[in-house]
Amino acid sequence: MQILSLEAILLISLIVIALVIIFVDDLMTAVVVYCAFSFITMFLYIVMGAPDVAFTEAVIGVLSTIFFIMILRSIKRKTK
Amino acid sequence: MRKVFSVIVICVALIVPFAMFEVMPQIGDPNSAPNSHVSVHYIENTQSIANSPNMVTSVIVDFRAFDTLLETTVMFLAGVCVMIILAGVYKTKKRVIDPGESKMLRVRSGEKVFRSINKDVIITLLQPMILVYAVYVLFHGEVSLGGGFQAGALIGTVLLLDAMAVPDKRNFPNITKGTSAMIAGIGTFIYATAGILTLIGGGLFLEYEKFPWNVPLLEQHSIGILMVEIGVTLGVAGTIVTIMNVLLEKVKFDK
Repeated sequence: MQILSLEAILLISLIVIALVIIFVDDLMTAVVVYCAFSFITMFLYIVMGAPDVAFTEAVIGVLSTIFFIMILRSIKRKTK
Repeated sequence: MRKVFSVIVICVALIVPFAMFEVMPQIGDPNSAPNSHVSVHYIENTQSIANSPNMVTSVIVDFRAFDTLLETTVMFLAGVCVMIILAGVYKTKKRVIDPGESKMLRVRSGEKVFRSINKDVIITLLQPMILVYAVYVLFHGEVSLGGGFQAGALIGTVLLLDAMAVPDKRNFPNITKGTSAMIAGIGTFIYATAGILTLIGGGLFLEYEKFPWNVPLLEQHSIGILMVEIGVTLGVAGTIVTIMNVLLEKVKFDK
């Protein structure tokens, strides 16, 4: 299967973002970077020709980020 | 150890799909299996059978409406499960800050500052726009992008912004967790009612051509799609507001 160069850039940035989410200590940073993850996933869906799914991903990504932030207010922000 | 394990999981999860890419057909290849059987049928017959220019919507809520009914039910059940697990008799603190205190708090960049003039004004300006867009997405979803899920998520976003950013003066009436779960249930019920109406009309479950009222055949598909999408919208919005309400009860703000 052929991968477009734009798709390759987006996929590689997804890998980098996933690694950042794992290794960052501040949970708030992790949540915001997770929002960026869903944003790039949205671009990937658009490139692949599924704008309906991209629309859903955009809205749900924002919603889940807000839910995570709500939870973060009641727990400690740092890991360990 | 945990980090090493997660890196290993990510590597495996990356290697497997990239290995599978060699086997998978190219995107847009007309001779591949998914493009040569079922897609052709949908592309040729969507306009004539389902009377819907948007092929995605017609596949989701017309050709495969039964799948979507169960998806909506799963959504509703997820909201109810979150409510069962998290809800309880917690004492919720009032999220009200009197003006003097908030002026004092705004100076500090500590934890307590969640209210500012910017947020008040901008959220109040944004809410009607998002609502109008949600209604547009709902009623225009048959023709263009969007549909029930997106519209419901947008309405949920509006209510969530209302509860999160302007806690002490809400622009919308406060919906309790019981009411919101009920709204989600009503949405799922509307969806199922569409199926039962077609049964009454003498057709199969969710066969839109057999609605009991007397309108042209193609219009009945539009009515069926719209009815189903309204049900999905209510279901999704109710679920989101339920989860939000339960979390707001559980989470300790302003300690």
